[in-house]
Formats: sequence, structure tokens, C-alpha cells
Amino acid sequence: MTLRALRAVVGARLRAERRSLVFSCAGAAIVGFVQPHGITAITDPLTADVATRSVWLAGPMFFCSTIGIAIALMQGPGRHAFLDTTERSAPLFGRELARAKALAPVLSATLATLVYWAAQFLSGFAAPPTFFLLAIACVLASTLVALNATVTAGVARAGALACAAATIVVAYVLAVYADAYSTKSGDAVGVATELVVCAIIGFVALRQYGELLARYDPLT
Amino acid sequence: MHILRFRDAAYVRGAQTIVAPSNLDLAPGDHMTRACSSAPEAEALAMMAAALARATSGTVTIGEFDPRVQPVHCKRIAAFVPHDPLPLSQIDAARYVAYRAALWDIDPAVARSRAQRLREQLEGMHEAFAYPILGALLPLPQLLVLDRPHPAFVPQILAAASDCAVLVVETTVQS
Repeated sequence: MTLRALRAVVGARLRAERRSLVFSCAGAAIVGFVQPHGITAITDPLTADVATRSVWLAGPMFFCSTIGIAIALMQGPGRHAFLDTTERSAPLFGRELARAKALAPVLSATLATLVYWAAQFLSGFAAPPTFFLLAIACVLASTLVALNATVTAGVARAGALACAAATIVVAYVLAVYADAYSTKSGDAVGVATELVVCAIIGFVALRQYGELLARYDPLT
Repeated sequence: MHILRFRDAAYVRGAQTIVAPSNLDLAPGDHMTRACSSAPEAEALAMMAAALARATSGTVTIGEFDPRVQPVHCKRIAAFVPHDPLPLSQIDAARYVAYRAALWDIDPAVARSRAQRLREQLEGMHEAFAYPILGALLPLPQLLVLDRPHPAFVPQILAAASDCAVLVVETTVQS
């Protein structure tokens, strides 16, 4: 697949979903501003660390991942039939088309997460960059998993959505607890654990999406 | 040598037979009109002929390729024009040509000049109907599959697609 074809698919998809992108960013900005960040006074440093992480990461991880899943579901067939038909009739392999089609929701979800982080920063509770990294990994992994729901139906679709939800929970638990309990080895261990798990989930989900697109029957 | 061949190709969804086992031979440069009894049958047949859907039984070959094994090779040969017109509220004509040219890796200047020439050949046709045909013909396909085209436009489309084989799939009833 040429870079030009990739840009064409991503550009067309982003243009088609520009309203959703604006709404997602607006929603992320509002929630980023109003999300409560305060925690009760805790003397134990470990408990305080866990409490801070759980409160500060809950908003971006759960809300922005939900946005990512919603944007992913919008890539499903029917919403932009002419794009679907044109992309399907182009001489592209399933995995190539999967990468291009996945890039649009991934970029949208990334932008929404950036807006959320900016809103947090502007509201005076700026989360450290590591938190943004943890949140974005979770958002991207769950978005990629949710893409599988767009080309499946029935139980398989529900399963893909359940996996996307499970990805958010697993990433959140890892980000909050693996990080907090790895203080002796430094934050890097906890951060790396969450990033690696999300990278593996995202990679497998993208491969699976490519397989599903290659086998997809538009008449079903 | 056939550009499109169906051998007992059928499409079945669950217990419902959408396309009954059918045979079809289309030679390069030939035109053929296939009448179907329903819109779903016509759509399924057209998509099978353009390698967009796979026959559930029987065989389909496009050029020398089997769409089940080499769909990308088939899509380099066949072009598909859907029944629905281009939604001009979502994409304008010039952008659509650039989009198609990028997907089929056609030089932008070549694509623009081909599009202009084809638009002149499809003169009088509304943009929403002309551009899907024009877009399908941009990569110079060997086979053009038309899914239930407007009957009034068929002679003009056949004239514009004089270099390739054309399969026109129609319905015998109003869909």
C-alpha cells in the first residue's frame, strides 16, 4: 500500500467523521475540566500514591477510551457506504486496509485524549506526562479492539465490545497498581508493564481486524 | 479466454438462496446484460463478479484468478459501479477523483486528464451518477460491473467503456 493511498483513506475517513471528531474533542474538554481530581488526606505514601493514580487516571482512561470505542464503531459499514464500497473494491489486502481504516479512529481518539489532558492542565490539575502516556496506550488498545466489532455481528460483535471494555479495565488496573507497587524499582516497571500489555493487545487486535476485513462479506 | 466466468456460482445466506447456481462467460471487450428477479440477487451477482463478495458454492474466475484465493489480483482487473449514486453532500467530485486515483495509485495529472475525458463522454449525466462510473474507469479496468444502472445511461456508459468488458446486472422488477 502506498503512502498516498494510506493518506487518502485516512483523510477521507477523518473528513467524513469530522463532526464526530469535534464532538469528541468538545466532550473531552468538558469532562477534563469538570472531572474531580482531589483526594482525601492520606498519610500512608503508598495508599496516597494509589489513590492519586486511581483518581487522576480514571477520567482519561475510561472516558477517552469510550470515545475511542465510539469512534471505532462509526467506521462500521453503512454509515459511509460509498467509502466502504470504494475501499473494498480497491486492490488492497485486508491487512493494508485494516491499517489505513484503523488509523483514522486512532488519530481521532489520540486528539481527544490530548484535548482532555490539555483541559486537565488548564483546570490546574495537570497530570504528569507519564499519566498521559498510560492513558493514550489504553485508549489506542481499546479502540483497536473495538474496530473488530464493526465487521462482526451477533455474539462475535458483543464479544469484541466486551474485550474492548476488558482492555480498559486491565490497562487501568495495571496503570494504577503495577505503577504504585513498583516504587522500589522505579515507575518505569509499572509504566512499561501497562504499555507492553496495551501494545500486545493493540497489535493482536489490528491483526485480527485485518483478517476479518479480508474475510468480510458485505452482503451479510 | 474469458475475463469473467461463473460455473454453478451461487450465493446462499443461511437457508435463503440469494443467487441460484448460475453460469456466465464474458469475453474481453464484450458486453452482457444479466437480468435478476430481485435487487438482493442483482447486488450479490454484481459483487461476486467484481470480487467483492465470494460465491458460497461453485466457482468464479476473473481473468485467470479466483477471487477466493487472489482477491487483490481480481480487483486490479474488475471495477465495480454500485447502484447508489455518489453522495455529493459528503464528497465533491474533484476530491472523489483524487481519492480514487490515490487508492489505485494513478498519477494525479493522468487521473485528472482521464477524468476530464470521461466526463465529456458522460456529458449530460448528473455528477452523482457520472462520477462513480468515471471513478471505476480511471484505472483502465478490463472488466466493468454495473450494479443496476439507470437504464437511460447504459448506452452512454457502454460507449465510454468501449475498451473493456462490461457486465450490466439489472432487475426485472422495480426495486
